[in-house]
Parts: sequence; structure tokens; C-alpha cells
Amino acid sequence: MKFRATSLSKIVFAALLLSVAPHTLLAAENSADEQITFVRLTSDQYRNSIRDIFGESIEVSGNAASTGVREAGLMAVGGRRLTLSAAEVESYEVLALDISSQVLSPSRRATLLPCTPQNEDAVDNACASEFISRVGLHLFRRPLSQEEVDTYAAMAQSATESLGDFYVGLQSALVGMMVSPDFLFRIERSVPNPEQPGTRRLDAWSRASRLSFFLWDTTPNPALLEAARNGDLMFEDGLNQQVDQMMASSRIEDGLRAFFADMLAFDRFDTLDIDTNLFPKFTKNVEDEAREQTLRTISHHLLNNNADYRELFDSRETFLTPALAALYGVPIPIRQELGGRVPWVAYTYPEDHVRVGLLGQATFLSLFSHPGASSPTLRGKAVREHLLCQTIPPPPGDVDFSLVRDGNHPDLRTVRDRLRLHRENPTCAGCHMLMDPIGLALEIFDASGVYRTMENDVEIDTTGQWAGQEYTDVRELATLLKDDPTLTSCLVQRAYNYGTAREPNRAEVQWLNATHSQLRNEGVRWRELMLRISKNPDFYTVPDAATN
Amino acid sequence: MHHPDCRNITRKAMWPGIPIVRSFSFALLFFSISLFSAQLLAEETRGYVVSMVHTATYYDELTCPDGTNGSRPDVLIRRVMADGYDREEAVRIVSNIRTNGGRDDEGNLVGSAIVLGGGASFSGDQSWNDFDFNPANVPSVLPDPNAHNAQGRYMLGLNLDGETGPNSWEHPITGETGIDNEMWRVLGCWDVYYVNKPINPYNEGIAWDTAIDAMPAWLISISGEDLSQDGEVTVTFDRALNIPLRDAYGSIMTGASFAVDPNPRSHSEFKGQIKDRILTIEPGDFYMQGESQFYPHLQFSGTQLRFELKEDGSMEGHIGGYQPWRDYYHYLSVRGETDGMIDLIGIFYDLKKYADALPDPQTGENTAISSAYFFEAVPAFHVDDAGNLLADSVGPGPKFSGPAVSQYSNSEQ
Repeated sequence: MKFRATSLSKIVFAALLLSVAPHTLLAAENSADEQITFVRLTSDQYRNSIRDIFGESIEVSGNAASTGVREAGLMAVGGRRLTLSAAEVESYEVLALDISSQVLSPSRRATLLPCTPQNEDAVDNACASEFISRVGLHLFRRPLSQEEVDTYAAMAQSATESLGDFYVGLQSALVGMMVSPDFLFRIERSVPNPEQPGTRRLDAWSRASRLSFFLWDTTPNPALLEAARNGDLMFEDGLNQQVDQMMASSRIEDGLRAFFADMLAFDRFDTLDIDTNLFPKFTKNVEDEAREQTLRTISHHLLNNNADYRELFDSRETFLTPALAALYGVPIPIRQELGGRVPWVAYTYPEDHVRVGLLGQATFLSLFSHPGASSPTLRGKAVREHLLCQTIPPPPGDVDFSLVRDGNHPDLRTVRDRLRLHRENPTCAGCHMLMDPIGLALEIFDASGVYRTMENDVEIDTTGQWAGQEYTDVRELATLLKDDPTLTSCLVQRAYNYGTAREPNRAEVQWLNATHSQLRNEGVRWRELMLRISKNPDFYTVPDAATN
Repeated sequence: MHHPDCRNITRKAMWPGIPIVRSFSFALLFFSISLFSAQLLAEETRGYVVSMVHTATYYDELTCPDGTNGSRPDVLIRRVMADGYDREEAVRIVSNIRTNGGRDDEGNLVGSAIVLGGGASFSGDQSWNDFDFNPANVPSVLPDPNAHNAQGRYMLGLNLDGETGPNSWEHPITGETGIDNEMWRVLGCWDVYYVNKPINPYNEGIAWDTAIDAMPAWLISISGEDLSQDGEVTVTFDRALNIPLRDAYGSIMTGASFAVDPNPRSHSEFKGQIKDRILTIEPGDFYMQGESQFYPHLQFSGTQLRFELKEDGSMEGHIGGYQPWRDYYHYLSVRGETDGMIDLIGIFYDLKKYADALPDPQTGENTAISSAYFFEAVPAFHVDDAGNLLADSVGPGPKFSGPAVSQYSNSEQ
């Protein structure tokens, strides 16, 4: 039978209403003490989940989720605030229709369905229920209640009877599950904590989800779900065993990439608009490659080399493509074959090269620039907020920026000159003193990341002070930044908050401080940090509203 | 118009680009040693990637005093008229060629006049009157249409033989006399070539624009003690193993890295000098393999060049020499008349007529024609296959280069 989108679409909307209803009931049935947390899946988490549940051959064409909101420095924390608009629900439905038609296509039924209907043109509740139970476990990241299975089976039955096709009927149930909040949101449920009476902690299924999205940026795999089912995740040994197994997997890189993409504000790529009339080397390909360069560098450094996070800021080692090398003005070995994939090569800058670390990469330099010009203020603010976890308040509404932006000023030839004058306004001086010196050291890189020595025929001055210490250029600034304990405490805090999707309570802050102190002495290594967080019992506690 | 006094170079008629390399390893070793020795001697080596190539063009009021040959429609109209139709009928037939199937008002097939449009490689009906093949493959079966040829005093190019003869041109910019460029007499009055910079000859511009995204790049290096000063230098041409990159304008991206192809086939080396930021070389053989639909290769005997070294690190100018004229006919016939916008038969006869060098020992017919090509090159790194730096990229390069020049530079003015 041919796919009938209109009929199915009506059924799916009905499914959506039904799918929300049990969830609402569930919340109402829980005790007054229970806190249920909803964290919307990111686009990548949605894609990764579909890939892991149904296989890599399923194409996820499109992106239903709108850009989230950043809270406490992370989109992950902002994810708790996100709901779904009607338009987003509709987009998810379109996506679900496409995915479900692939899943239930004749070529995939044999492998993805646990049973075969007795008659493809008729209702088969047993087979439908078996499929719903099995797939539902992975989609909802918990077993479906019998009531839920019956609800979706009834949906499949209704559609099958209307449309005369078992698989189209089943598709309606699958779409219903895929547009359910139970799939689109990571729903964390709590149970009383016997170890600390009066407090609550995540239940086993929620722990599985938290761990999986934290470490792998995807839905729990069967082993993790099994550990949740048999209760292992509620005990230290069982939990630690699962954590160790996950940390040993190469999929840990997915989790690392997702975290740093969040922490380093890669969502700004969605709206990045560097003016290619002024910076013609910054093509879309270069933009994509810059993004990958940063993640590849971090991943190689932290995972492959198990090196200290601090070294990322003055490291000369990175990875380049031919286009990035041209942007940076350095020669690289060429491995390119015609028609082949983008050839990444490991590259080490010469000892005397001015470009070092993450701050010298086009990702940071372009993300925190204006479309037509570099911005010492934006770059300095980004270092403060994204790397040091400091908060810079927004400028007052009545500040006149015309002088700062006047790149053709006859007397104030450099942005350093213009910002100096801008800081004479006492309202502006406080914040700009925090931001500008950092950014001015980076002025030797234009908005696209190309190295330069002059601005309006005036030699660029990269000197400044960091915490009372003088630096002459960005390399010395990077060294000072690297040695600043705020840099590492920020990483520890952000990693923890990323996993819990919230800010820490008082007890957790104490644990974070202690962990940070230990790691600074032992080496701030990503694997160790992830292990400590994942194995920390507090990571699974549910703070009550008063302490949160 | 023949030129019996044209400089018949009596060199061995063996083209530089077709060396018989019995031992590739030996050639590779030789190439590596020569490159290495050049590096040892030189204080500085700058690398470039060729960003634009096309036949040199120049016109003024003296170039085509009798008018130009027009373009593709004019060729077709003349052909239909040669079949006995008056001009009005010919124009009508040609104008409606997409709907009339090449037939006249009475339904008689005259479309045979059109088939050359696809060129020698055209896959459709290639019959021409009583011939059931495309005459572009054997152009001498048809009579010479006697197209207009370029005249006048000025043309770009190089003095290849060191002499000034009755057929020499005068360089319109430098005033140098003795410029040898008989190719221009063949091409200069076809509308597609009747252009001045920044406009590129359309057919070659399109071909190059298309080719460079898939063709291994062409590289140039200059080695010398101090390239910012006048002095002796060594100039090399090589083919790369990788293709050029483009920037957002479609210009060739400067500062990119290119691996030099160790195969010596496309390696040419010249002694040269820089004087007042002008690079010249001592004559020699040049061969460069291409993978373009226009330049499957480019080769000259008696090669000379004159490149201006620009402040931004790029260079541009003309390279020329005696080129096998059948090569050029091949370039155009592969593209066909539709793309080439010329009369292939006329071009064939004119190339043969104006060929001025390398006589065939058997027939005495000249096999080569003096020609000049515009080259533009932008700074690039050259590396060997191990990633060692062979030539440095110096300078930011121009804002627009390659195919982007004619598209954007007018709007900048």
C-alpha cells in the first residue's frame, strides 16, 4: 500500500495528544516530593539516538530543533528551560514520518522488526505490541508501561483499520512515539535516596540516560539499559563498571566533542556571517573545517594524548586542511587526491610562530568577531565568559559605540586607540578593562583568523597585562592564561553542569572545588575528570529547590 | 599571406614535452638532485601557482581595419550563404535553427552547415553535405573561408628571435619592437579574442575556470640570492599533484600548499634575471601537461617570458615561444565552434598559413607558430611529497586573481 501522508498525519496528531496525556498523568501520580526534570535533546542527540536505535543507514534529513538558549554558560543547562512550540512539534512530526517510513520500508522490516504480521493488510496486535515494546524501550530510554504499549498499539490498530496496511498502521504508532516528549526530552525521574534519608536521587533509567548523553552524547545502549533494568546502576560497583566500559569506548569522543562545542559556543556558527568581501579566504568550507580543526585538536590532545587541558592554550600541535593552512599562511604536506575526502594532516607550528593554542584558531577568532572586523571586546568577553566562567554584564543601553566602530577615524587609527578613548567613559571602563586587553593581544588576527601586523598602516600593539603580569604578545598571554586556576576550575564546573544540566548546589560546589584542586596537582586530564564526575554519587542526587 | 622570411628555427623537431624516459627512477633522482642543488645555491625561493592562462590578446583601431569575423552566428550565416542562399534567408535559417532543424522555408536540409558546432567530438549527426564525418577532423576537405586576420602595429608577446622583421609587432606597453606573435594574426579578428584586459577571451576563460577545479595546478618558482633586488635567478615550471583552492570570490587562494609532481615530464627550468621587478629568462624548451579541455598540454620551443613581479607578491605577464600549430587547432576543435565561437576551417587554414618555425624536414612545412600567452601567478608554498618546503609563499597576493579578475575588477574601478 502506498504511503498516505495526509491520513497518517491526522492520526499522528491524535497520537501526539495521546502521548502527552500519559506523561501528564504520570507526573500527577507521582508524589509531591518527586521532581521530574525535562531536558530537550539537542539536534545531535536526536540524530545520534536515531542512528543508534535504527542503524546508520537511516537518514535524518533536516533539523527540527530550534536553537536553544544558553544558561549558566551552557546550552545544556538552557535545555532545561526549553519547551516545544507548535511549529517545532510539526517539524518533529515531519521528521518522524520520514524516519519511520525508512525504518518500516520493505527492505528493513526483516532486520528492524522482531516479528512478521500474519496478514500485512490486517491488524496484528501481538506483533505491533512486541515492536512497540522493543522500540519504545530505546526511544523512551525506559520500559513502556502496559498502558503505554496498549495506547500505541491501539493507535496502530486504528490506522491499520483505516488504511488497510499493517506497516502503515505501525508507522503511526512509531511516529507517535517519536513525537512524544518521552523521546524528545530527556526526562529524569527521582526516587528516595536511602543513603541520605530525606533526599532523592535519580532512578536507574534516568542514570542510564544521564551517563549516556554525558559521555557519549546519545541514547543508552542495550548494555546500559540492561544495567538499569537489573538495578546495577543504583549501586557503586555496578555504576562504576558501566562508567569504565563507556570510558573505554571510542564513542567517548562524541561526548567530548558535544561538550566542547557547547562550552566554546559553537552555536554561534549557526549565525556566523563573516563578510567574505573583506575576508575572501573565509569560505563556507573553511568555516566548517575551522570548526572541525578545533574539535579534532581538542579530541586528539585530551583523548589520544591524554594530555593536560591547560596545554591546549599554548600547544603548537593541531590539524590542518589545505584551505586552513592557506588561511593561516603555513605550508603543509599535501596528501590530497582528486575527488577524495578533505585531507587532514597533523601539523606543528614552528617554535617562533605566533599562532598557538585554541585562541589562535579560526574558530575562536571568527566566532567572536563582527562580520566586517575583529573585536577585541567580543574576544575578551568570550575568554572571560566561556573559558573562565566569569560574567560580563551587557553594556548600558545608552552607550554611544560610534567612535569605537569608526575604523576610518583620522586620528584613532587602531582599535586600541579607539577603545582607550571609549574606556574614558567611566560607565564603560569597568567591563572593558576586563575584556579589551585580552582581545587586543589577539588583534594580530583579523576577523577570519588571517595573521596581520598592521592596522590602517599602524603596527599592531599586542602588549598588555594579565593579573598584574605583563605580556608582549598572544603567546605570552596564552601562557599566563594557562597558569590561571580560573581556567581549569571553569572546565571542571562546566563539565559537571553539562552532565547535570543545572548549576551545582552548595555540596556539589565543595566537591568541585576539591576535585579541581586535586586535578591541578595531578594534571587536568579529560578522562580523569569524566571518570570522577561520573562516579561521584552526588552527580545522581536531585537537589531540592531550596538548595539548588 | 605567407611569411617566407619568418624565422624558421632550425632546431631538431623534437618537442620538449615528450621525453623518452626509460627509467622513471633515474629521472626522479635527477629531478630531485637538480631541485636540491638549486635550493642549496639559492638564498631564497619563492613559489607561485598559476592562476590564469589564456592566449594573449590586444586590439586597437588598427587591428582589424576591415572589421572582425564576428562570432558563431556570423560563421553560420556565411556558410549558409555559401550554399546559395541570400543573406536574408541565411539569417532567418540560422536564427531559427533550434526550431527548423536546419531546414529552409521549403524544407530542404541546410543544417549541414551547423554541425561543426559540436566540434570534432560532437556526438550527433556529423554529416556535411556528401561527407558522413565531421570535416573538423579533416578540415582540408573544405575550402579556406579566408577570414580576416589581425594587422596593425601593436601586439603583446615576446621577441623570440632577437630580430625585428617586417612581420614583427611592437609591444603596446613597453614599446619593444620585434615581437613575434603570428598566432595573433590568426585569432585577433575573431570577436571572442578581440578583447583587452581585464576581459579574458571568453572560450579560454571559461575553459580555464572549469579546468582549475579539477586539474593539477601549474607551478612556478623563482630562486635567487635576494629576490627583492635585481639579479640572476633560476625559474622553474612544474605541475602539482593537487588542484588549486578558491576563495570566496572564485579567485585562486594565495598561500596554499602544492606538492610538486616528481615526474620530470612537466618540469622546465630556465636561467633568468630580475631587473626593475621584471622577470625574464634565457630561451629554452617548455612543456606543461594539463588536464583541461582546452590545454591538454602547453609546449613551446625557444620559450621566453616577461613577468612583472608585483608588490602584493603575485606576478603576471606573457610567456611565449614557438608552439606546434596543430596543438592549437586541437584545442579549438575539441571545444567545437559553439564554444570556440570561431570558424574551425578558417582557423585551420590560417594556422597553417602563418606558421613560422620548425619546418618539417620532409615537407618543409612549418610545424610551429610564434605565440604568446598571458600568465598570472599568485604566491603559494611548494612542498615535496614528504612535506619538505621547496618554495616559500611571499605576499598576500591580489584581491582578485584568475577567473575572478574579469568578473570583479571592473566593478572595483
